[in-house]
Amino acid sequence: MTPLNLADIDLSLLAPELWMTLLACVVLSIDFAFPKVNKRSLAYLSMAGMGLISLQLVYYFASAKSGLLFNGMFALDALAIFFKLFVLLATILIVLSSVDYINKIKFFRGEYYFLLLFTVLGMMFMASANDLLSIYITLEFSTFGFYILVTYLREDPRSNEAGIKFFILGVLTSALIIYGISLIYGATGTILLSHLAQMKPSVGVIIGLMFVFIGLGYKIGAVPFHAWIPDVYEGAPTPVTSFLSIAPKGAAFAIILRVILLTFGGMRSDWTWFIVGLSALSMTYGNIVAIAQKNMKRLLAYSGIAQIGNILIGLAAGTRMGVDSILFYLLAYLFANIGAFAVVIIVSNLTAKDDIETLAGLNRRSPFLAFSLLIFLLSLAGVPPLGGFIAKLYIFTAAVNQNLFFLVIVGLINVVISMYYYLVVVKKIYISEPTDPTPISVSPALQAVVYISLIGVLALGIYPKPFIDWSVSATGIFANLLPR
Amino acid sequence: MSGERNKEELMTQYLLSIILFSLFFGGTVLMFIPNSRPMLVRGVAVGASSISLLASFYLLYAFDYQQGGFQFVERYQWAPNIGISFYLGVDGIAVPLVLASSILIFAGIFVSWHIQDRTKEFYIFLLILAAATVGVYVSLDLFFLYFFYEMSVIPMYLLIGVWGSHTKNYLESKDPNKDSPRFFFNFTANSKEYAAMKLVLFLSAGAMVALLGILLIYSRSGIYSFDLIALSKVPEGQYGKMLVSVIWLLVFFGFASIAPLWPMHSWSPVGHASAPAATSMLHAGVLMKLGHFSIIRVAFFLFPEATREWMPLAALLCIGSIVYGGLVALFQRDTKYVIGYSSSSHMGYIFLGMAALNTISLTGAVLYMFAHALATGLLFAMAGWVYDQTHTRDIPSLGGLSKKMPFVTGAFIVAVAASFGLPLTVNFVGELMIVVGSWEVYPKTTIIAVLGICVTLCYLFLMMRGVFFGEMKAAYAHVRDATPWHDRLPLILMLACSLYYGIFPSRFIHVIRSGVIPLIDRIHKIAPLLSQAGQAGGF
Repeated sequence: MTPLNLADIDLSLLAPELWMTLLACVVLSIDFAFPKVNKRSLAYLSMAGMGLISLQLVYYFASAKSGLLFNGMFALDALAIFFKLFVLLATILIVLSSVDYINKIKFFRGEYYFLLLFTVLGMMFMASANDLLSIYITLEFSTFGFYILVTYLREDPRSNEAGIKFFILGVLTSALIIYGISLIYGATGTILLSHLAQMKPSVGVIIGLMFVFIGLGYKIGAVPFHAWIPDVYEGAPTPVTSFLSIAPKGAAFAIILRVILLTFGGMRSDWTWFIVGLSALSMTYGNIVAIAQKNMKRLLAYSGIAQIGNILIGLAAGTRMGVDSILFYLLAYLFANIGAFAVVIIVSNLTAKDDIETLAGLNRRSPFLAFSLLIFLLSLAGVPPLGGFIAKLYIFTAAVNQNLFFLVIVGLINVVISMYYYLVVVKKIYISEPTDPTPISVSPALQAVVYISLIGVLALGIYPKPFIDWSVSATGIFANLLPR
Repeated sequence: MSGERNKEELMTQYLLSIILFSLFFGGTVLMFIPNSRPMLVRGVAVGASSISLLASFYLLYAFDYQQGGFQFVERYQWAPNIGISFYLGVDGIAVPLVLASSILIFAGIFVSWHIQDRTKEFYIFLLILAAATVGVYVSLDLFFLYFFYEMSVIPMYLLIGVWGSHTKNYLESKDPNKDSPRFFFNFTANSKEYAAMKLVLFLSAGAMVALLGILLIYSRSGIYSFDLIALSKVPEGQYGKMLVSVIWLLVFFGFASIAPLWPMHSWSPVGHASAPAATSMLHAGVLMKLGHFSIIRVAFFLFPEATREWMPLAALLCIGSIVYGGLVALFQRDTKYVIGYSSSSHMGYIFLGMAALNTISLTGAVLYMFAHALATGLLFAMAGWVYDQTHTRDIPSLGGLSKKMPFVTGAFIVAVAASFGLPLTVNFVGELMIVVGSWEVYPKTTIIAVLGICVTLCYLFLMMRGVFFGEMKAAYAHVRDATPWHDRLPLILMLACSLYYGIFPSRFIHVIRSGVIPLIDRIHKIAPLLSQAGQAGGF
């Protein structure tokens, strides 16, 4: 091994992460140095910083910057940039939705933003992780922040319970992943993905891969590794739930695509059945259990499990189109989910509860919020002309092209099931009469989140071409690897 | 001079976009108008729908039936990677249906003039519903056909759920569990929420079946495109014998569920009955025809051979629609249930006309779709009027309303006459063509269908007698007739169209034939010119 020589390293590849580290430290230092400073300004500082980093990443994307660092541990390519931007976009919206919510928290309001940024940093590294060890480390890195964030409402027993559950299962997950990695290393003698791609499949690799995937399955919350999701979602502060429901899943998909398709794509026949099973179980279980939910956050948690099942259809297809549709689906899911959670935050700021019952008669209290939530839920259900519809159609098309009829049929049946529970919420919003008819006033920050999500959902549905193009160019590295 | 011509060309070039987007645009504008200004809300809705109405009439007369084929074609790239383009165009089959949608949305806006609760939202969803149905009729891209088809379902949920009405049995039921799922099969004591949910779930399930068929078409045609014209050039052999049948059945049953073909009809009367008047009008008038139209556009157009092979199935099932719908309507005591079941029964005639697969019967079927839209629209509009005035739909508790509402009664009588196909109404022309055309192919079914017309006569007369004639209840002394212009306009419009095109149907028949003949020729594999000469004497 050659000694590390900084002169040979193109640090501009790492620049977004370095800036992010700086930003996180600055936010923390300001909070320490000036305890009297308004926490709101910390939020805006974080958002401005992330906005600038996003711009840099957009520039990288446009100029097709790519390269490897640290002997191939760290890869910057279009796929990585896509997921970094994805995580940053989600985080900016989450910070914006937290601005008002943070007043509920009694302690460490400033550290809240630091922890968010710290977690994002981990997820940005996840998007670039290019060998098994860095995959493991970045996964851990991104989860640390969450352990604290989930328990942020420290006087609420549900939040503490959520934190403990999340921690224990998180540790178990790490153990599984590291065990899987050790099996793969034992079978092949390498941890670099580029080397592994050239290895012949062996039993050790397949079992190791299975363990790694089970670990990642925990992260994305696929059935049967979903057990932590509803409780953690319910207990965590709602902006954290919103964050948890989208950003780590996106980053985990960056790793899944890299490991499963880029590296072990040649062994498709060995793992497809596994993904097909996870996908069908997630969709069916998530949707059926969601019907019984009385709490909005739990409902969105189960709906999220079902959505992951849908996304896995694209992975099971294992084609270029499948990968494109995964990226597109994640985008549609991002806007609809963050938007829906923003409305939940607004309503629960008033009532301090997250029950579906509190949404009763929302249309009479705030027509704008009611209409927005309607749009978000319908997008999650997959109704045109919204982003969720195009995403579902895209992913089903990829699956039909690969003859995955079982998954497509299960998926289509599930669309109908999911329509039921989303419409039950719609019924509450539009048909039920409110218990407390006072109009709801929305703070500008949350209103901005709702507007951005609304525009996102509608734009993805009405004119998806730029987003499809974006997904297609982000998956350029699969061009010669996977069938169309 | 040249400027004027340019203007006309521009208008012709974008005619379909104008019809479609004036409705969407109207709905979007309404979102920014506060609910505290109901007249402005109504004004915008009327403005949007009158643009599309005028443009649709223009479409009927500007359509060149001698040229035939798809006209007023517009095409824009939308998502080239997946082979989707925004591709609009109409043939002779779509033109009358576009017109029917425009007439009904225009009339529907006036019919719901008296809605007080959340007027704005009501009109937004109504306009989106109408726009989506128009979208299906003008789409030449399979993706957009499905896109608009699905889009029409959700507004129905809100329109029924928020502005609909419960059935009498539900309101009178003392059972504390009347909202529990145990009541799922209790068809006559349902709440509006139940009706709305049932409708959406049935239609979504049907849509998913059709979607599977559409995705199979997309991926197995080998051209990876949703372009209907391009797909129609793909020979059926490309898919394989077995797969063609599977796709055909998926598409047929998927779309037939909205039509609704027996035995997939049970959502329809329940939905009709609970919906507010304007929604029932659009639902029965044009939403149900989406099924027939999509079957013609997708199954007939892309798979002529499979159509020839499988369409007898529809001829069999349509007996179920005609007989079952008619007999159940005979025993209903709720005005809207009677009209709802009568609609399901009449949809059977359209299936019969389609199943015979000859020019006369298919032309008749398409004409009947238009005719039925007007007649049922009228019936629902007036059932809605009676409900608004009396707050009941229960026939036995009504009676003698003709003394109080002579205009509505007069219009109702004409609507009933149109509904069972009295000569001089456009329904008669359509019905006659269906019967004449299908007699050669399915004589026994045709006899049943004609007997079904007698049943129609019975239940419509029973309802008319029960509601408008006989002793008047003292409780209804306060009811009033439709006297203001905005209450009469929609009724007069629909009546006028029904009678005018009943007396002068030739333009319609020419237009429809220009779309039907190439389709039938494809199905029977006849050279186009020959058949035109052979069948020209037919009508």
